[in-house]
Amino acid sequence: VRVRVDLDTCQGHGRCYDLAPDVFGADDEGYAQLLVTGDVPAELEQQARAAEANCPERAIVLD
Amino acid sequence: MSTTETDGGGSYGGSPFEQMDPETARHPQPSYKLMRDLMPVTRMDGIGVLLARRAEVDEAFRQPELFSSAMDAVALQNVRPLIPLQIDPPEHKKFRKILDPLFAPKQVKPLEEPVAALVNELIDGFGDATEVDFSKQFSTPFPSQVFLTLLGLPLDDLPVFLAMKDGIIRPDHVVGKPRDDKETVAYQRGIAQSIYDYFDRVLDEREVERRDDLLSRFLDTEVEGERLTRHDILDICFLFLIAGLDTVSASLDCFFGYLAEHPEQRRQLVEDPSIIPAVVEELLRWETPVIGVARVATADTELAGCPIHKGDHVMAILGSANTDEAEFDDADVVRFDREANRHLAFGGGVHRCLGSHLARLELRVALREWHARIPDYRIQPGAELDYTPGIRSLDTFPMVLGVSQ
Repeated sequence: VRVRVDLDTCQGHGRCYDLAPDVFGADDEGYAQLLVTGDVPAELEQQARAAEANCPERAIVLD
Repeated sequence: MSTTETDGGGSYGGSPFEQMDPETARHPQPSYKLMRDLMPVTRMDGIGVLLARRAEVDEAFRQPELFSSAMDAVALQNVRPLIPLQIDPPEHKKFRKILDPLFAPKQVKPLEEPVAALVNELIDGFGDATEVDFSKQFSTPFPSQVFLTLLGLPLDDLPVFLAMKDGIIRPDHVVGKPRDDKETVAYQRGIAQSIYDYFDRVLDEREVERRDDLLSRFLDTEVEGERLTRHDILDICFLFLIAGLDTVSASLDCFFGYLAEHPEQRRQLVEDPSIIPAVVEELLRWETPVIGVARVATADTELAGCPIHKGDHVMAILGSANTDEAEFDDADVVRFDREANRHLAFGGGVHRCLGSHLARLELRVALREWHARIPDYRIQPGAELDYTPGIRSLDTFPMVLGVSQ
């Protein structure tokens, strides 16, 4: 599975890097930064799904 | 701090919520459901257009130019727009660029220890008492002390602070007359001026001698080569005062009110404190301490077929959006193991609560430290909790400690 974050939609709620700290980080302003490139490793898939399911802006897309 | 930057938004300056009866203010969720079912987008005379569903709340939040958060959305007797809440894009971005880094998780994380110490000092202050007033002795002083620490102000100023906060947010409670009474408005106006004066004095001091605090940092911050003006800093401080104090107090009142009445769920977090972050999110969703936030339409438009005219006030009912069954499975069940929780307790869109990371830290630490020491408590038998409509805080919360229900 691949993960994307739409930075125009992200408002810095910070749910993703809280719930999926190995998939997302925060920039200095608290907005999301993707830490993985390409496919999400299988062991991190659950984290990525949690981030997607808890983003209030729906800025995270898995496909 | 809340829902949109204040988390306060329009719930402060006169709102439909003021007419809520005490039972609805205590348990608003069934009323939200009625609104969603019967009048999801509805115009109420003298109030504006209420948005009860998540879908329309999202639509409004995603169009900040059309649904403006500018000054006419709220009336707090401030003489200039509050920064950044009452500033619309594109200028808004400039201020968030300065303020976001100061409230980013990285910045608030080091506060965890001092915040935990404040919680423990307040609990120490209970002494051997078995009955306390949770509101007066804990939820009210706690966020104000965090705020004073953050701004580098003396803790002795707490009473001054509480007087300014209450005078601006609930002047009607202080004066004992309706909100639109001449006397109430005059009092609120005086308090507003005293807030500007207070911060103006402290900033004069910091001009002379910088310290390691937020106010000193504001004086030296530059954006696009420009310094913040004195007015800018005052307008930021004014907003902090009304946004950063009451909202966390209200959240604690709502959370502890809920947990006092649900001992089995309370036991879950006592036995496994690792669930506390999830408890905070679920209670933010279910209780939604800031019921709604206000916007003003800048042009004619419509939402879900309801015409909205330029100049109309539009109220996003966050509490209703957060219990909308179209968004949440088991929307009316409080579940600490909820997998998907996209709640909007801190608002959404560009005005997302600036202090949300600090608020989460305060709430998590308070729940953790409190329950490690006081796992059992209940509302004093016979007492009813009377939540202020709008921001659901309590003036008094009589609590019995050490007794399970």
